[in-house]
Amino acid sequence: MRVYLIALLAFAGLAVAPFGIGGYETNVLMMVLFFVILAVGLDLVTGYCGQFSFATGAFYGIGAYTAAIMTRDFNTTIWVHLPAGAIVAGLFGLLLGIPALRLKGHFLAIVTIAFQTIVYLVISQWTSFTGGQVGLPMPNAGPVTVFGVTLFEFGSLRSYYWLTLAMTALTLLISWRLVNSRLGREWVAIRDDETLASAVGLDTTRGKLTAFVAYAALAGVAGVLTAHSLRGVTPDDYTIWISATVVAMMVVGGRGTFIGPILGAVFLAILPELLGKFAEYKMLIYGVLLVLVVTLMPEGVVGRLRARAAR
Amino acid sequence: MDLFLQYMANGVVIGSTYVLVAVGLTLIFGILGVVNFAHGEFYMIGGYAGIVAITVLKLPVLPAIAFVLLVAAVVGIAAEAILHKPMKNHDATSSIISSFGLAVALQNAALVVMGPQPQRLNLDVSKIPVLSSLPTDFGPVFLPQQRLLIPIATVLLIAILYVVLRYTWTGRGLRAMAQHATVARLCGVRVERVAIVTFITGAALAGTAGMLMSSVFFVYPIVGNMIALKAFTVVILGGMGNVAGAAVAGLLLGITESLTSAYISNAMRDVVGFVFVILVLLFRPQGLFGKAVERS
Amino acid sequence: MTAPILEARGITKRFGGVVAVNDASLTVGKGQIVGLIGPNGSGKSTMVNLVSGELMPNEGTFLFNGTDITSLPSHRRARLGMARSFQLLRLFHSLSVEDNLLLANHMRMKASIAASIFGRSSAREEEQRARARARELLAWFDLQDFADRPVSALSIGQQRMVEIARGMMSEPSLFVLDEPAAGLSPPNVDKLIQLVRRLRDEFGVSILLVEHVMRVVRDLCDHVVVLDSGVKIAEGAPDAVVKDPVVIEAYIGTGWKRRAQG
Repeated sequence: MRVYLIALLAFAGLAVAPFGIGGYETNVLMMVLFFVILAVGLDLVTGYCGQFSFATGAFYGIGAYTAAIMTRDFNTTIWVHLPAGAIVAGLFGLLLGIPALRLKGHFLAIVTIAFQTIVYLVISQWTSFTGGQVGLPMPNAGPVTVFGVTLFEFGSLRSYYWLTLAMTALTLLISWRLVNSRLGREWVAIRDDETLASAVGLDTTRGKLTAFVAYAALAGVAGVLTAHSLRGVTPDDYTIWISATVVAMMVVGGRGTFIGPILGAVFLAILPELLGKFAEYKMLIYGVLLVLVVTLMPEGVVGRLRARAAR
Repeated sequence: MDLFLQYMANGVVIGSTYVLVAVGLTLIFGILGVVNFAHGEFYMIGGYAGIVAITVLKLPVLPAIAFVLLVAAVVGIAAEAILHKPMKNHDATSSIISSFGLAVALQNAALVVMGPQPQRLNLDVSKIPVLSSLPTDFGPVFLPQQRLLIPIATVLLIAILYVVLRYTWTGRGLRAMAQHATVARLCGVRVERVAIVTFITGAALAGTAGMLMSSVFFVYPIVGNMIALKAFTVVILGGMGNVAGAAVAGLLLGITESLTSAYISNAMRDVVGFVFVILVLLFRPQGLFGKAVERS
Repeated sequence: MTAPILEARGITKRFGGVVAVNDASLTVGKGQIVGLIGPNGSGKSTMVNLVSGELMPNEGTFLFNGTDITSLPSHRRARLGMARSFQLLRLFHSLSVEDNLLLANHMRMKASIAASIFGRSSAREEEQRARARARELLAWFDLQDFADRPVSALSIGQQRMVEIARGMMSEPSLFVLDEPAAGLSPPNVDKLIQLVRRLRDEFGVSILLVEHVMRVVRDLCDHVVVLDSGVKIAEGAPDAVVKDPVVIEAYIGTGWKRRAQG
């Protein structure tokens, strides 16, 4: 119960935050929330289920392009895109989960890098469908109506921020329920010892595929939100460097600790803002940080703190 | 038909670089069990080192090659110290993450130092003895000397590597490690030294490839991403740890890509290898030439 | 003999050119404790992995309660009521003792995964029942004080007991024990012998026991099968088998050869 209370307070604080800060800061906060969704999603498949993925950027992009292409071709709204992005990305997650049934460790890592690269090639080269290097623009989400009555107009920065905040709360709640359910326990069992998991009667195929789908769907949701709030998509927002950034957030915070990747995302997403003119070095810093943390503290900051508290 | 031969020749040139990069990658995996996701960056650094040596330092060709090898050796030693030595007591995922982190760091270091714009090495072939006297026309096939140099260098380097592995003490130590690390250690193979030699060899092969290719294709900070993926494709097709397999698979991939881009579409060129590799991993994880091994 | 619970018929397994198990057959009757013995490298471990479904045989069939299970993967065999322990201890090392047991009961849970995710009362009550049962079992194994501890905090002997408790948590009809006495001190071996007998007598579980320690085999087994180089060379009552010259030759012979080579 205490967890829910703390979470509630945090979200209440974040909800009123736009009244106290400027537009730029609101934008930064919104970006932090995108990364929180991505890092928590990656933690499900890698931290809990032990299946490696460097393809977060790809699923993020699939969600974003689903929204952009549906807007262009069907003129649908964000309320359609959110479930659609989750479903399309989730289906691709299922597709990538199939190799994970047979491959382990580095082989799986290579396949996910190949997948990430293929998705990038498709969105940057297939100009007639995806807009190529230029990407696709997106109009405002428009008014939100119930029975013909306009509740509020979508378009202001704050409305996107609140929507993102609500979706972050929802995805965190779902993830929390997942890792504390029977399924979440099976994921950890698969991570610890797959042979044993199978020997005690667990269906490891179902375990791995559900983890991949959950991860991909969450990244897809983050993609839809990003596409709408940035008013468009360009391929360079969904590269392997995004995947690297999210891996760094998860590893630095602590794999499989739930709160760790959230804190990692907040810290590493805000870091470039604090660096001022050194912000262009952020990927360099992420890379070095990844090497250092994984060498000196592979369990991450939260993992280390918990181990210390248990002693 | 004439064009077909030209495409084949182009494929062999590209394939040769894949072989150089992949052989180092497969050695590092076979001998040390390290999957080096930063291997493409060895290639990138070799390319930039070549450009710096020739256009900035104005070195002649042979000293320039020596400079590239020196840089590669330093990179190899550093990579071993980061990716191998401290990782012995870590699980496999940590070493994957670590080399991936190193790749990202090196790419961005290059971005800071060399800038984002693609650069190319302007090699004046006419001033280089021996090379300038090589023919460029082979019947219907035309290969400028810069390109011709690549397969020649590949054959030479692989031959040297073969002799070293086969006939020297160091080579025997390397092969012993690949067979069984613990037994090799018991027999007096100095694991630390073998590890460093292996990384230097890998970095030197990839660095040479990068330098040779920099006179044909552009070098840019993230050029290693694609090269590493190609090298992984080759290593997996050839069978992880299998040097001869990597050599054959590298040429095959180069030719396949060249023909795909000529007869199907240029956009499909890069995709074809990945589709290949995913299929191979799913249905023949031991590689095209490996034997299936199952253990109790 | 009682009706068979497990029948292995003409099992052959090859690794490349090596024949690890060659046309071996064995039967475990309901309520029986059957021993599988043999010198090092005789194919015992391979046979266990074939029985549990981690490896698939090249030839032969497995029948479990009369049904053909030859092509079933290990988790399907577990669901039919087959539990196993491992020669080299295997536990979910990042989880608590109780959670380790709980996972072995997942396959018996009837509430859907969705009900568990949404915290429906049916799923919650089912999980509470499973936890209560895990505590009961742990008490039976004298491990009740360790329920919330991570398994890595336990001694080897205690971890061995957790493994067996985990097997019992899955409500098996056949329990395959792979060298349970390995690494145990002599007093603990005595405890193990009593415990395995009680498993059979109190829970009615049939047991296939792979073992190195002869004392365990002689004290426990109703019937013993001897493998050497993957071939079944003898079977029968433990006392008779131990005196069989062919078996003595297999054990002492390889021991002598090993010393000569060393």
